[in-house]
Amino acid sequence: MSIIEVKNLVKIYDNRRVLDGINLKIEKGETMVIMGGSGCGKSTLLKILIGQLKPDDGQVYIDEDEIIHMTDRELDVVRRKFGMLYQGGALLNSLTLAENVALPLKEHTKLDKRIIDIIVKMKLAQVGLVGFEDKMPAEISGGMKKRAALARAIALDPHIVFYDEPGAGLDPIVAAVIDKLIMDLSKKLGMTSVVVTHEMQSAFRIADKMAVLFKGRVIELGTPDQIKNSNNPYVQQFVTGSLEAASISAKDSTEEYIKSLVEGT
Amino acid sequence: MQTLYWIFIAPFKGQMLKPGAVFAQMNLIGVGSVPIVALVNFFFGITLAMLTSYQLKQVGTQELMAGLVGVSFTRELGPFLAAVVVASRVGSAITAEIGTMTVSEEVDALETMALKPIRFLVVPRLLALVIMLPCLTIVANCVGMLGGYVIGRFNLHLNSAYYLKLTFDYLVLKDIGTGLLKSFAFAIVIAMIGCYQGLTVSGGSAGVGISTTKSVVQSIMFIIIIDCLFNAWFYFV
Repeated sequence: MSIIEVKNLVKIYDNRRVLDGINLKIEKGETMVIMGGSGCGKSTLLKILIGQLKPDDGQVYIDEDEIIHMTDRELDVVRRKFGMLYQGGALLNSLTLAENVALPLKEHTKLDKRIIDIIVKMKLAQVGLVGFEDKMPAEISGGMKKRAALARAIALDPHIVFYDEPGAGLDPIVAAVIDKLIMDLSKKLGMTSVVVTHEMQSAFRIADKMAVLFKGRVIELGTPDQIKNSNNPYVQQFVTGSLEAASISAKDSTEEYIKSLVEGT
Repeated sequence: MQTLYWIFIAPFKGQMLKPGAVFAQMNLIGVGSVPIVALVNFFFGITLAMLTSYQLKQVGTQELMAGLVGVSFTRELGPFLAAVVVASRVGSAITAEIGTMTVSEEVDALETMALKPIRFLVVPRLLALVIMLPCLTIVANCVGMLGGYVIGRFNLHLNSAYYLKLTFDYLVLKDIGTGLLKSFAFAIVIAMIGCYQGLTVSGGSAGVGISTTKSVVQSIMFIIIIDCLFNAWFYFV
């Protein structure tokens, strides 16, 4: 069985089907990039995958455990198997970088403090933040925050790491550094990565497989090459970022967009 | 319910409270509030002494002012004023801090790490308030009576020992006890409203501002209502 499996996932907000029957399989060690325009449901899908949100219908299996109907306590056991990198890092501002990385280790293991200190140094070294242990999150740059947050996400050596827009708000060079880290974790340590993004360059760089979401559905699923050569006009338009794509003109897209706003579909 | 679980049940299941976090909050919430609580109560003590001695002068019993200030502060004004000051200073800070953590996904991150925000954020603040607000109430009582003493000594020219005797003649242990019982209830109100408003913030930084205002307004409103209910209880029962 796949390490993550999503079956017929439906989420409705105010009569609007944000997710409309999503089916997805993610294999162990794979980097799956979930793409789509703003409001297509990718962030909602990610929140459901990490157990932060309950869907209206469907199932999610993580490591063969169905998480949707789990109690909070059962879900906590599954949560220890994965890490999550939030868009803004979400480091605890009252703690230093070292304390942030040490937090899951202190709470979920019985390791000696000296061992935890060594692991923290290793994790920070892994993301290139040696010497920044005592810095507060407010004292470092956005890219460094994300790297520190990644060190925290991998502190417990999870099987899976979820990434929410890892390159958002970063310059291309720092974004490439984050991409390199994601690839290293995946290739060298065999971690499964699920990345939600709408940044094409980054997506094609790191993905083993890609899923394109549109109006709450997976409209295309495949390798980066298959996505690049997709016949789906929306996928082509999304990949090339053009206003005038093969079969959806900017005018049609705009009209469709306005219609969707007015009708709330 | 979750807060009660983390305070009373979880420690017996090996998930201990975080004394470091509680002490840090006690310092921030309690020690940090001493100057402002003292200042407000000192001036209120002076004001109350002036107003009551002016009225008592009409019937020639100005000396009763000492007991009146003492009883008023221990039963009512000390706990009430300390709670209002703490609700404004600390309740707002709790909501703003937790609210900012909520909008910047720090609370979500805690949950994703299988760490309970109630245990990390709510329990230390609640315990710190429950311990420190009664202490601040004792400070408020003492400083309020000191304000009354200033008028008694320098305006009514009462001897210090005589002023103290007049105060303690009218004070009974029940007065101090009921005041402290109230402050215990006020502490729970301030902590729970402050944390709840912080954890339920939505709408970014504007939402943090709205929730902070709500937190202070609701805390003061509930403090007044609970104060009235306690007084009714002490009065009728």
